[in-house]
Amino acid sequence: MGCFDMGFKEYVGKRTLHGVVTIFLAVTLNFILFRIMPGDPTRAVSGDPRVDTATRLALIAKFGLDRPLFEQYFIYLYNLLRGELGISFVQIGRPVIDIILGRKMVNTIILMGSSMFIAFILGIVAGVFAAWRRGTKIDIFFIVFSLATYSMPVFWFGMLLLLFFSYYINIFPIAGTITPGVVHANFFEYAKDYLHHLMAPMITLGVSFFGGYFLFMRDTILDVFTEDYMLTARAKGLSNRNILFKHAMRNALLPMVSLMGVHITFLISGATMTETVFSWDGLGRLIYDSVRNNDYPVLQGIFLLMAVLVVVASILADVVNAFLDPRIKEAVD
Amino acid sequence: MAQERLTKGSLRRERFSTSVRRLRGFWALYKQSHIAMFGLFLVLAFIAVALAAPWVAPYDPRALVGKPFERPGEDHILGTDQVGRDIYSQLIWGSRISLMVGLFASVFSVAIGTAIGLVSGYLRGPIDTVLMRITDLFITLPSIPLMLILAAIIGRSVWNIILVIAVTGWTGTARMVRAQTLSIKERPYVEAARSVGARDSQIMFRHILPNIIPLIFANAIVGIVNAILAESGLSFLGLGDPTKPSWGLILRHANEVGAMATGRLWFIIPPGVCIMLIAIGFAFSSYSLDQIMNPRLRERRG
Amino acid sequence: MMPVLEVHDLVTNYITRQGNVDAVSHVNFTVEEGQTFGLAGESGCGKTTAAMSIMGLLPSNGRVMGGQIILDGEDLLKKDERELRKIRWKKISIVFQGAMNALNPVLNVGEQIAEVILEKEEITKNDATDRVRELFDLVEIEPSRIVDYPHEFSGGMRQRVMIAMALACYPKLVIADEPITALDVIVQNQILDLMKDLQRKLNLSQILITHDLSVIAETCDKVGIMYAGKLVEYADAGPVFKTPIHPYTSALIGAYPSIVGEKKTLNFIPGSPPNLINPPRGCRFHPRCPYAKDICSQEEPGYVEEEPGHYAACHFVTELRERLRLED
Repeated sequence: MGCFDMGFKEYVGKRTLHGVVTIFLAVTLNFILFRIMPGDPTRAVSGDPRVDTATRLALIAKFGLDRPLFEQYFIYLYNLLRGELGISFVQIGRPVIDIILGRKMVNTIILMGSSMFIAFILGIVAGVFAAWRRGTKIDIFFIVFSLATYSMPVFWFGMLLLLFFSYYINIFPIAGTITPGVVHANFFEYAKDYLHHLMAPMITLGVSFFGGYFLFMRDTILDVFTEDYMLTARAKGLSNRNILFKHAMRNALLPMVSLMGVHITFLISGATMTETVFSWDGLGRLIYDSVRNNDYPVLQGIFLLMAVLVVVASILADVVNAFLDPRIKEAVD
Repeated sequence: MAQERLTKGSLRRERFSTSVRRLRGFWALYKQSHIAMFGLFLVLAFIAVALAAPWVAPYDPRALVGKPFERPGEDHILGTDQVGRDIYSQLIWGSRISLMVGLFASVFSVAIGTAIGLVSGYLRGPIDTVLMRITDLFITLPSIPLMLILAAIIGRSVWNIILVIAVTGWTGTARMVRAQTLSIKERPYVEAARSVGARDSQIMFRHILPNIIPLIFANAIVGIVNAILAESGLSFLGLGDPTKPSWGLILRHANEVGAMATGRLWFIIPPGVCIMLIAIGFAFSSYSLDQIMNPRLRERRG
Repeated sequence: MMPVLEVHDLVTNYITRQGNVDAVSHVNFTVEEGQTFGLAGESGCGKTTAAMSIMGLLPSNGRVMGGQIILDGEDLLKKDERELRKIRWKKISIVFQGAMNALNPVLNVGEQIAEVILEKEEITKNDATDRVRELFDLVEIEPSRIVDYPHEFSGGMRQRVMIAMALACYPKLVIADEPITALDVIVQNQILDLMKDLQRKLNLSQILITHDLSVIAETCDKVGIMYAGKLVEYADAGPVFKTPIHPYTSALIGAYPSIVGEKKTLNFIPGSPPNLINPPRGCRFHPRCPYAKDICSQEEPGYVEEEPGHYAACHFVTELRERLRLED
């Protein structure tokens, strides 16, 4: 069992190295994208009419914008490591890093996390159930439901939700993370209001992901059912519950975990659209606003943050997967 | 039987008739799936509408032909939008944008993906490593934000949307093509071709590519669904051409004037339904493609 | 000796879109206590289907259409799924081809064996684990390996694990379906020796299913030869191999080269097994039988007891007996 530790640590190490390389590439891509923009290459950092001269000069000095591109690249990397991402054009003077690593990021993570969680749990349970009761009405219902939500644009679904549950039946609030203008008595009150506002966007994002998880889980379990060890489990006369959850599901969960790692990117995309529809104060909404206002430094910052988030999440998913699947160690050793 | 001369012409004719025969067999199988046929019907319906737009749409979609926010009625089947344009006409013309973007973006992204996958899988070595790292990078980056950022940089127009979708969507195809190339490369006939002295490019195009075309085709169809959804999303966020009617654009207008809060159903529901139907159409059309194409690939596998 | 299992007139079909596959057609055999019964035949002859019918593990399109399967005085075919589940592994167990996939890859082997013990018996976890260790000892695997995962074992070791698992609840009958086919020759011998050893030690009753006649010759007390869903010859092992009376059996045996003895041309049986959706009229072997006459394509042969305990399904058993002996 000692070899387990060494193989596993090695795997984590290798995987992390992979991730670092990817982040590095993202960083470089970021640099290239925003410096080879049409027009003035410094437009992305400082060359915007909203920036006053003094600040512009300071930025030029800090980022070496008067130096050749090659040098700028290294200054850029250096600044990055120091957490220096420039300043926003819209919120003049405010450092980008302040804007992105704050309230907004937390709001987005809460939205993404909760949506993925319910989509995952419901998707797994429904998937297992539908596979077990294959071909029955409930199976078909879930399949049709998943296909429908998959072909629905997520923002439209959000709009429909708002239409029916804010306009026709007033359960959900229209927009925002908390009711504007209200002062809350304590944290509990605040949390209640926050959660109330979280409901609609969370359901929107969750439902749009449920379909994918459900279909994948159902497919995977059906595949698992055809494996020889399932016949062995049946031959052993084990109970249905045992066969389904201990033998089938554990095997089917493995690819699901990998899938979740890949899905983080889609989650961010979906969150962007959802936050826009519901005016949820998060990074997605920030992207939208920044695109509208040509706030390039903020865009660069979000780009980097997202790359980091996705890489970290996918490393986590792979590590969890390796931890759960005893066979992966073999591939490493 | 008289000996037929084996000419280039006769070979070409033979290959043609074999392909025709294969396609006929394929169609016979395809017809059997109700789901696929339903999907095909939807797709063809939308294509028909798109092509016949100038004659089917009652009004010019950009013209102000009525009062703002008119409810559905005699003059306007689906009412008017916030400035008085006919929504029904916008829907009809909008099918052109969706289809055009869907098809072009998908074709481009599949082309990029195939090129990268083929080169990467065939040449291997450092080129493979670099290309695969780049592919990993693009898989990592979330598509909508990336598209937003790219659009912010290069400006807003329909062609830019196509470009942006293509540039962010090729990774799936690339990975698949690379995997296929790796396996096909090892087959005896490829080795034979190489030993006879065929050039790399010849091998890639004459031997490997034809074998993966069915899979590429299936990928392209799925890509269309994603491209259409992406287009509607980007238009919704305001990155499309504001002068070209697109379903996403209609929804954008609806969102901006708070149609949800004022209960203007006719504004919100029809464009979304159209997007859904066309997405379902393409999704269903590709449903049995996998099953039809795969067994044939399995036959060829060594 | 008491019979452990009696199979009477078993008929099993598979329902397919092209028609009903008559996979097992009126098969009879008995397994005595402490005996090993060998079920032999080409792939597709129905032997695995017969085994699955006994265990009640047919796929969803498989149906037992008739017959009786009497285990311990009870007809298994009259039982519902819940009752069968109780019987499975406790009274009758099965060893599959120990390919990678017959064991669950994400659970360790000890867990997979212990779970069935715990489910079938009132026993503490510790005792169950002890028994697993004993079982490993029995099959000659290091007991400390009960926490290892299936992929950490070689093919031969995995087969030992499968055997240990089959014995976990001390069943009355063990079915072994091609237990050594997937292994390489040297390992095959080891496992075969192990199985013979266990059979002796524990007085096991077994059904051994295989297409490999040499294995049957080495290990079985009684043999049933199957062809196209029918049992064509049934006798003790000695007589079947020394004096086969069915043309198919004789051809099968003739198809095996002998290391000792003079060089002969290998006989092979021309043609291929019939389509069981539309089996040939009369004797199912007649299209490939060198001795076939008109009656063979019209009437199905019944069982002829040529010698006490030695049955064959052929119209010309007596006439062929001498001829077949000469040709060997």
